[in-house]
Formats: sequence, structure tokens, C-alpha cells
Amino acid sequence: MKRFTKHGLLGQASVLVLLGAAIGLASVPLARAADEVTQDRLLNVDKEPGNWLHHHKNYSATRFSNLKDINKDNVKNLKVAWTMHLAGVEGGGIWTHGGLEGTPIVENGFMYVTDGWGSVYKIDAHGGKGELLWKMDPKTDHDWAGAVACCGVDNRGVALWGDLVISHTLDGRLVATNKQTGQVAWQRQVADPNKGEVLTGAPLIVKNMAITGVAGAEYGIRGWVAATDLTTQKEVWRTHTIPGKGEPGHETWKDANNAAASGGGSTWVTGSYDPATDTIIWGIGNPGPDWDNQYRPGDNLYTDSSLALDASTGKIKWHYQHTPNDPYDYDSVAENVLVDVPAPNGSTLKLALEADRNGFAYAIDRTTGKFIWGLPFVKKVTWTKGLDQETGKPIEYDANKQVQTYITAVTPSRENKVADICPGNMGGKNWPPTAYNPDLKLWYIPVIESCNRITLEESVPEKLKAREFWTGGGPSQPFKITGSVTAIDVTSGKIAGKFETPFPNLGGVLATPDLVFSGQPSGEVMALDAKTLEKKWEFNTGGGVNAPPMTFMVDGKQYVAILVGLGGAWDKWFIDATPELKRIQPGSMLYVFAL
Amino acid sequence: MTNGKRYFDTALTGAAAVAVVLSTIYGALAQSAAPSDPTDAGKAVFKRANCFGCHKWHGNGGGGYGGDALSLRKTELTREQIMETVGCGRPGTGMPFFTRGAYDTVKCHDMNRQDAGDHMPPEANTFLRPNDIEAVADYVIAHIKGKGEPNYTECVAFFGDTSRVCDVYKKAEAQPTAGSTGGGGKAN
Repeated sequence: MKRFTKHGLLGQASVLVLLGAAIGLASVPLARAADEVTQDRLLNVDKEPGNWLHHHKNYSATRFSNLKDINKDNVKNLKVAWTMHLAGVEGGGIWTHGGLEGTPIVENGFMYVTDGWGSVYKIDAHGGKGELLWKMDPKTDHDWAGAVACCGVDNRGVALWGDLVISHTLDGRLVATNKQTGQVAWQRQVADPNKGEVLTGAPLIVKNMAITGVAGAEYGIRGWVAATDLTTQKEVWRTHTIPGKGEPGHETWKDANNAAASGGGSTWVTGSYDPATDTIIWGIGNPGPDWDNQYRPGDNLYTDSSLALDASTGKIKWHYQHTPNDPYDYDSVAENVLVDVPAPNGSTLKLALEADRNGFAYAIDRTTGKFIWGLPFVKKVTWTKGLDQETGKPIEYDANKQVQTYITAVTPSRENKVADICPGNMGGKNWPPTAYNPDLKLWYIPVIESCNRITLEESVPEKLKAREFWTGGGPSQPFKITGSVTAIDVTSGKIAGKFETPFPNLGGVLATPDLVFSGQPSGEVMALDAKTLEKKWEFNTGGGVNAPPMTFMVDGKQYVAILVGLGGAWDKWFIDATPELKRIQPGSMLYVFAL
Repeated sequence: MTNGKRYFDTALTGAAAVAVVLSTIYGALAQSAAPSDPTDAGKAVFKRANCFGCHKWHGNGGGGYGGDALSLRKTELTREQIMETVGCGRPGTGMPFFTRGAYDTVKCHDMNRQDAGDHMPPEANTFLRPNDIEAVADYVIAHIKGKGEPNYTECVAFFGDTSRVCDVYKKAEAQPTAGSTGGGGKAN
């Protein structure tokens, strides 16, 4: 009810309620029906072009909106419509401050955003302004979670289901909040920070289930993807990303240390869903310890893989591994983008696209898990000569070897403890999401053009301790790191363009029919021509962009929104590669633009 | 108490909330009135200067995304050497210098910026005054240097008891076998 009083008597909802009451209808259920999020609505988001209901816009994770009132001809007139300061900048654990990595969700003119500590804000975006309706603060245990968050105080946003807002907290909870009141309806501990598990991703909602991914491969976790029934609040399934004894794939952990039990394989980026086959496709993180692959001989399935799961049971359907026995921290946690393109023989290729930390972009047949094409999307790759054109494995990969060394001279190992690798261990492409334009068949990758130095430290079982780093070494930054937005023509599997930027892309991209939006950690938000990648518009937010842009429509008007507040891993661990970014102050701010 | 704070908004009635607030205030007053550890000031510096960001609260440091911060538990540095390391940083490593003007107006290791060249340590985000540096060195000597495995009491002394951050040590102490192998809670 807070909403109605604040909204004023002229607000649409109030009028509905009054009318309903006057003519004796059950007004509350009526008003609710339009706002209830159902599986049908989640499957058919194209029918609601002004809304942004999924973390990645749709189940295919294209982050493409067909709104085009803002287009390449008028984007030069784009201006700040309104802003809102958020909270969550405070530190905790090993972190001095939080940051913003979330994607706003918008439904019928109401926006839901999170800050790094998992507070959820509901904002009324009607009338060309933003008004905070409620804030749900989950009272995250800062030190408990912050001491085992490898890469920042982050929360990437919410999902909607029924009359609930579904979100995660860094300290491992799945929280369901009443959409109208902002009161917590229920919550469930899904991840355990005592094991080094934390939650940073947005949930994926599939058929009355919230799908949760976990972070912690730097702390010796054994990763998983878990499904919670949103009615019974019970776990439906939990699939470990490192197979247990007796399960297929366990034989790819050949050591005598039981490395699989702490083998990593985290899942902290929201996956995608193919309703045609009822398949969830999720990216799996790096093995642990990150750099000492001699500790864990074997291919280390399903780390560094794209994993297809039966949505109803969690059973593994197929996997595709990118970097077997990874010695680089080249995880494959990135989103898989599901696209259909015409094949040369007249049939349709049903692809899953993934841009990997290892610097290569992959197209996999998402029905079978077979490799279709792959190519480097970064300017510099030194760890391999390239991919085998048949299998997509790195050319140097030798299935008969227990420990892969790839190009030995540049690969960290116990014999070569200091090695410079390109891309650096942040990638390539990290969590910031790609976008795909289905009209142009162009796929836009937010790129970290990088090299860095890995110093290996030999891992021994005695070093494995709960809530302590389990990395087998660490990176340092003797090289300057830049970035780009790189476009790939999905019909040919070739690079179609590259827009270079002075700083790495730490926020991700949004695609509209003729534009691509993105940002820079130095503060700029920009719009590029979707075909030529020529810059058409730019605005400096004065903070560090570390989150993806999105777009929505309310009152018949299109807006572009983005969260601004540099946090994440970069400004603690990687800042020396971009010394100019040391001047960027912590912040927590929502920007909304309009013509 | 922990739960009361965490679910403050939803779980407590107004009266109970007032009681909690009052007891928190009294608790804080009582704490500050109690005879304090002479190295509390140093602990505050350890937090404020973000020493624990790399060395961790327990001082063991350890490898991680930011490289390998040395163990202050295993350090053999004397009080004076610790003070010098804090003030001047460690050339060629990520350990920053905390003295304003180090390698510039203040000589460090007989080097200025030019001499240090590529080995110039990074500048800390916070500068410390000489008495802060003494205090943090005293804290490290009294509570970290030479200590064995971190334990629950030490953890609570650092973080207080309103967070679950120390629970893992409580569990390890309750199950000494799990603690001694270091694999507590890791089987799954």
C-alpha cells in the first residue's frame, strides 16, 4: 500500500483499485493478474517488448531489445532522465567497498535493482522520474561472506516469479520478497560460506524453480547448480559440476589427492534455457587450484565447460570442455547465448555461443554438444596456436597426457613458475555479458584485451583449508590492459568488427536493432553503430561502469538504464594493469537515459 | 543476539527492538569501559589500513588473486623491521609503503624513487603516522607473530561476535580430526 499512497490518487494502480471497488469486482486479484509472472510470460517475453523480465532479457540470453525509438539517428540526443543513489558501498571481509554489477529488471514501469550486498530496490519509473517504493535489506553477514568472496562484493540482480522478487545474497541465501510490500516472504540457505561458497549471480527462473549458481572455485569448493521449488521452498535437484566417485567424468581426476573434492567448477553467471528441449545450459568455472594443474592431472571435467542439464531433473545431457586440465584460470563461466542460424545445406543450426576466458569464441550444436566453429576474439593469444578445426580442442591438447602444457614456454608449471599469459587470467571475456542482434546475426563480445603474469605456487594437501584461498599461485600485472567490443558474424564465424577502448570492458553490452550500448570502467557509457561499431554517443557518469546496460519502455517512452559503481575483482586485484583507474572512486548509482 | 540483529526488521516487535538497541548500546559502553588491550589501537590500524585485505585477519596471508602476502605469523622480522616494512613497503612486491613521502622526502632502504625504479613498491591507499606504525607493529608482535593455527578466540577478538565469520573455527575446534587435516567441511 505504500506504493499507492506515494503514487498519488491519479496513479493508474489506484484508479484500478478504486474502480474495482466501486463496481464490486475483486480488485486486488485483478490488479495482481497483470503483474503475476508466469512461465508463459517468461517464455514469451517478445510479447512484452517494453519489459525486461529475465536477467539476460530472454531465455536465449541474447540481451537484444527490439525497442528502437532510440536509434542511431537520434541517439546523439540521449540525456540523463533521472538518477538514483543506492547503498551497499561499505566493505566487509577482505573488501574495502562494494560495487554494482547488476542488470535492472523492469516490469510494467517498475524497476528492480540490487546493490553489491544484495539489498533489493523497487523503483517506480513512471512519469519520467524514479521513485523508490521500497528497499529490502537482507542484512547480509558482511564479514562471513566478504572474507570468502574472491572477486568482490557483487550481486548481479533479481528475477521475478508470481508476486515475488527472487534474489540471492552473498552469504548464500535465496530470498523471496513480496513484490508489493517489500517484505521477505521466505528465504532458504542454498550455499554455505563456511565451505567458501558465496552467491553473486541472479537466479534463473524455470517452471516454478529458481536455479542458483555458486562462486568459490578459488576457495576449494566443489561446484554445483541447484534448483529450488518456489512453492514448496524445497530443493528439487542439485547437480555437482565435479562428478563424484562412480559418476561419468570422475575418471578425469587422476590424482591421488582427491583433488576432485575441492576441484572448483563454480557457476556464478546466470545460464540460459532452451524450452524446445527443456535444457538448461550453464557455464562452468575453473578448476582449483587455479594454476597448479600438476596437482590435478586429467581433464578435470566439468570445469571450463558448457554443461547442458535436463531442467526437470538436473541430469547432465552433454558437456563441451574448452580448456582441459586448465593451468591458466580460463574458466567457462560465461553465459551461453542460444541462437538459430541457417546452415549451408538449408537446415537450421541450433547453436550455443560462448565467449571464453581463454580468448576463443565457440559455437556448439546445442542439441548434441558438438563443436561447430571457434575463433580467437582477442588481439593476442599466446597459450595455444589455435583450435583443432574438427574438435575445437586446443591444437596442443594431447588426450594421452595427464598434465597439459599447451605451449610449454608460456604455460605456468612447477618447472616454469613465472609465466606471462595472453589473454591474462581475467580473460578474454569475463562475466560481463555479450549481446546478439538476430537481424544482423552479429554477436557482440565485451573484451578484456590482456596479458598478465602468473606466479605458480606448488599446492600440497596441507594447504587446503576451509575459507582460505586455494589457487596454487597468483597473478600480477606488469602489462597494460585495454579492451574492446568485438563483433562476430555468427553465420560465418568470423570477426566482423572491433571497437577498441582504452580500458577493459568490465560491464557487458546491450544490443538494439541498430545500436550497441556499453560502458567503460573509466566512467563512459556509450552507444555504437550496430553495423560499423562507430561511436554515436557517449556520456561520462563520473563513476566506474562495472555493469551491463539495459533498455525498457514506460508511459510509451524508451529508456536506457545502467548501474554505476566500480567494484568486483578489478580494483582490488587487477588495478595495476590500468593505473589510471585508481582515481575512480567507489560509488553506487543508477543512471537512466532518455531522448 | 546474532539472529535478533539479522532479522531486526521482520522478527521483532517494537518493544523488543528497543530492548535490543538499548542492550547493544550498553554492551558497547561496557566494552569501552572495560580495561582495554594496549594493542587495540594497533588492531584498529590493521583494519583501517586494510592490512587484512591481503594478510587476512589472522595474518597468515597466503596465495590468492592478489599474489602471495607473506605470513605475519611465521615472520621473523623484529618490531623495528616490521615498522620499516610498513613505512617503506617491500621493493619489488605488492606490499605498499604507508609513510607519506617515502622514497621522496623520507629515505627508504637508502633509495629514492629513481633508485627504486621498477622495484618501487606501490603507494598505500592510507598513509600512517609514525605512532600508527608503531601501534600496528606492536599489535602484530602481540597477537600475530609466532602464533600457530588461527582459532575461534582470536577470530572473535578481531571481528566481534555479530558475524558468522568465525564459526568455521568453532567447528574445527569441536572436531579436532577435521581441523588437523584442514579438510573440515570440504568433503562435498
